[in-house]
Amino acid sequence: MATSTPLPDTIYRLIGIDGFAAELLSMFLAAFLIGNIMLTMTAVAGPWAKRKITAAFTDRIAVNRVGPFGLLIIVADAVRLLSKELIIPENVDRPAFDLAPIVLASSALLAFAVIPMGSGIQLADPETGLVFVFAVASIASVGLLMGGYASNNKFSLLGGLRAVAQNLAYEIPLVITAASVVLFTGSLQLSEIVAIQQNTTLAVVAGIRIPAWFAFVNPFAFVLFVVANLAEIGRNPFDTPEAPTEIVAGYQTEYSSVYFVLFYLGEFIHIFLGGAIIATLFLGGPAGPVLPGFVWFVIKIWAVFLFTQWARSAIPRVRIDQLIEIGWKGMLVLSFANLVLTAVILGVTGL
Amino acid sequence: MSTHTEPDTPVTKTEGVDADAIEELLGDDVLDRETHSNAEGIVVRADAVQDVLQTLKDEAGFDHLSCLTAEEHPDRFESIYHLKQYDDPTNELSVIVPASREEPVSQSAEPVYRTADWHEREAYDLVGVQYEDHPNLKRILLPETWQGHPLGLDYNQDKPQIVTFDEHKNPLEEDHMNAEGGDTMFLNIGPHHPATHGVLHIETVLDGEQVAAVNPDVGYLHRCEEQMCQQSTYRYQIMPYPDRWDYGPGGIINEWSYARAAEDLADIDVPEYAQILRTMGSEMCRITCHLLATGTFALDIYGDFTAIFMYAMQDREKMQNLLEDLTGQRMMFNYLRLGGVVWDIPEPREEYFEKVRDVLDEMPERLEEYHDLITSNEIFQSRCIDTGSLDPETAKDYGVTGPVARGSGIDYDLRRDDPYGYYDQLDWDVVTEDGCDNYSRLLVRLREVEESARIIEQCIDLLEDWPEDERNIQSNVPRTLKPEAGKETYKAVEGAKGELGIYIRSDGTEKPGRFKIRSPCYNNLSALEEMSTGEYVPDLIATLGSLDVILGEVDR
Repeated sequence: MATSTPLPDTIYRLIGIDGFAAELLSMFLAAFLIGNIMLTMTAVAGPWAKRKITAAFTDRIAVNRVGPFGLLIIVADAVRLLSKELIIPENVDRPAFDLAPIVLASSALLAFAVIPMGSGIQLADPETGLVFVFAVASIASVGLLMGGYASNNKFSLLGGLRAVAQNLAYEIPLVITAASVVLFTGSLQLSEIVAIQQNTTLAVVAGIRIPAWFAFVNPFAFVLFVVANLAEIGRNPFDTPEAPTEIVAGYQTEYSSVYFVLFYLGEFIHIFLGGAIIATLFLGGPAGPVLPGFVWFVIKIWAVFLFTQWARSAIPRVRIDQLIEIGWKGMLVLSFANLVLTAVILGVTGL
Repeated sequence: MSTHTEPDTPVTKTEGVDADAIEELLGDDVLDRETHSNAEGIVVRADAVQDVLQTLKDEAGFDHLSCLTAEEHPDRFESIYHLKQYDDPTNELSVIVPASREEPVSQSAEPVYRTADWHEREAYDLVGVQYEDHPNLKRILLPETWQGHPLGLDYNQDKPQIVTFDEHKNPLEEDHMNAEGGDTMFLNIGPHHPATHGVLHIETVLDGEQVAAVNPDVGYLHRCEEQMCQQSTYRYQIMPYPDRWDYGPGGIINEWSYARAAEDLADIDVPEYAQILRTMGSEMCRITCHLLATGTFALDIYGDFTAIFMYAMQDREKMQNLLEDLTGQRMMFNYLRLGGVVWDIPEPREEYFEKVRDVLDEMPERLEEYHDLITSNEIFQSRCIDTGSLDPETAKDYGVTGPVARGSGIDYDLRRDDPYGYYDQLDWDVVTEDGCDNYSRLLVRLREVEESARIIEQCIDLLEDWPEDERNIQSNVPRTLKPEAGKETYKAVEGAKGELGIYIRSDGTEKPGRFKIRSPCYNNLSALEEMSTGEYVPDLIATLGSLDVILGEVDR
């Protein structure tokens, strides 16, 4: 069950001092906490979990020398990446080149401000939460294009353009599919969406109440959303913007050291953001039996992460024209069909 | 082993080539006749090359320009066009074109056979023959600033070469290459790029995401292999070099190409037992090569070091362990000797046979997994079917051989058509597919793995039952080999990539007078332009992957 009190208010009460300064401080503290939760998860996912998962899929061992299960590779990699020389090629478009990684990483982090993570961890709960998440997450496209264009490299340019074409094609089905969920809830507020899923009963099987998570209510929308999400975060079969064997590394070809870390970080936070949106819209957010809400939330977004890694290891990449075709001719039509059908069914049954 | 329909032409009968009839056919253009140990040679005028070759192609059925060997002699330059027929490669003919040393000009064969384009550029680059009417007679293996022609007689090897490097050359300058249209972009793919399988540089002009023009720039891995072989003795010194051509590793097959040519030149017999060992080793190499090709091709399509790549590597590893047990090496086998092989199956023999059988028994199951994971995947099919199309006629024009040709429905395999080793005694099939696309080439490779496994299995059975006192691994070959002067031969074997041919001219010493390598990858790669123009960048990469080029063999 999501709490109705946002995290800053909880902290404000804990501090126990009145006044604007204390309010501001508690806001910063809350943001700091949530930012750190996400960064920690990314740090575990990027240098360690991703390697281990991919290795398991491909019959390898992966990191196992540094610390228990190779876990300290996270520290080692962080030091290594940060201590590398930052190479800035000649004739890059300076402010854009520097801003791109920051835009990418921060856009994803910003969206987490409104995600209810359970156990009272939610920075803010505006009534337009869902719109805010999509709006902020789409800023990433600007970052990718900036990076691709400013790098003064043709591979980067191709990658940047591909990224924008792909995000345009898949953002619309993503939002339309999310709208079909909103039809059920009648609210854009994320805590409300979670609460309705958890409080409605879909069926009772052998005495166990199955909550009306939208993944159960409308599996078709769930599948559509998961696929569109794969494209949104650029993982196989939709990893055309990076496509290492075709255009080297796409928009991030020229980035090194700290900038590269920011790109890498941004990508992983985006994967987790995708997982968070899926969890919130379709999997009951932080809800779940026995364990605390936050733990359930983490389990759910890691499950989505695992799925993306699985797709990456086992599915071939589609060609850019096929990708656009699937987006505009397939996903868009299906998502509208889903929306209209949902609306009709809701209207007829009067749920 | 299998039947052929022979071309219904007056001059080529089922039994070889009738040189007299050909001489008559060509009339005044013929200057002289020669005899090479693999084929009859006709000497033609340097200004009639196109006429002669066109006539031979149209009326005598010589549709395969296998190789071009150029050489500088004290009194003349000479270009030898080694012609074959795709329907029966034992019908061979050498067309010899002399040109004077003062003015080494010879007519280009490019208008007749497209494959002559790269071959003549190479001949110009290394030997210095000028080909008149050639569309693009530039250096191909050496840098454009190179001075002199290294295989020429007057070449000074000690003279330092200055290869300029324009440090701050504007990389965008070349953009203007196609500036008229205004909407194309010049892109250098390679020499350092994740998908070029070595150091290949592909100059590409893009129109959006589509490929408007492609020009493969080779030569980054040129190691003077031909010259090194010319400076080594037949008996021992040349044999290690072939391992360095196709390091897929197709080492034993490469060694066999040299062994076959040299044994033909020096009339050396190979004991049957050694032939079986060679056959088995070759097929192990072929499986290793094809698995590498499958893995890297999947890598090009999937984009990451995914399951398929690692699975292919694991299976390849098993085969490599067998090769290691047999030869003592994992890549640079140096296993063959003129007249046989260097040693027998490792003791205890039973254990080795058991190991081989274990690997072969697993093979069908593993291949099933490849078909599950790769070939039956719909996304994979949508990427590979009808991309990189190469129709049979174009393929023949470019001298394409091996799995690439067989993927275009050309039923051409030297193991069957020009039998050597023990292949004609064994029961196996030549695999062809009619799709002419990337997908067919992959299917051909996967099915060839099955066929190779069949061959190995039969070899193992034969070796196991071979009487102990008849296990003769080498015939008696003199310590110093000096084939008689002036003898020339061109012999090819079916490498993992296609027809791997060796031309040797003996000058009476213990070292070859001219040693020429016909690399299958070199020819196959030259068809890339034809296959990928007009397609998308990802298809260009996939096509390159399905050609399965090993740059060590392209550049030699």
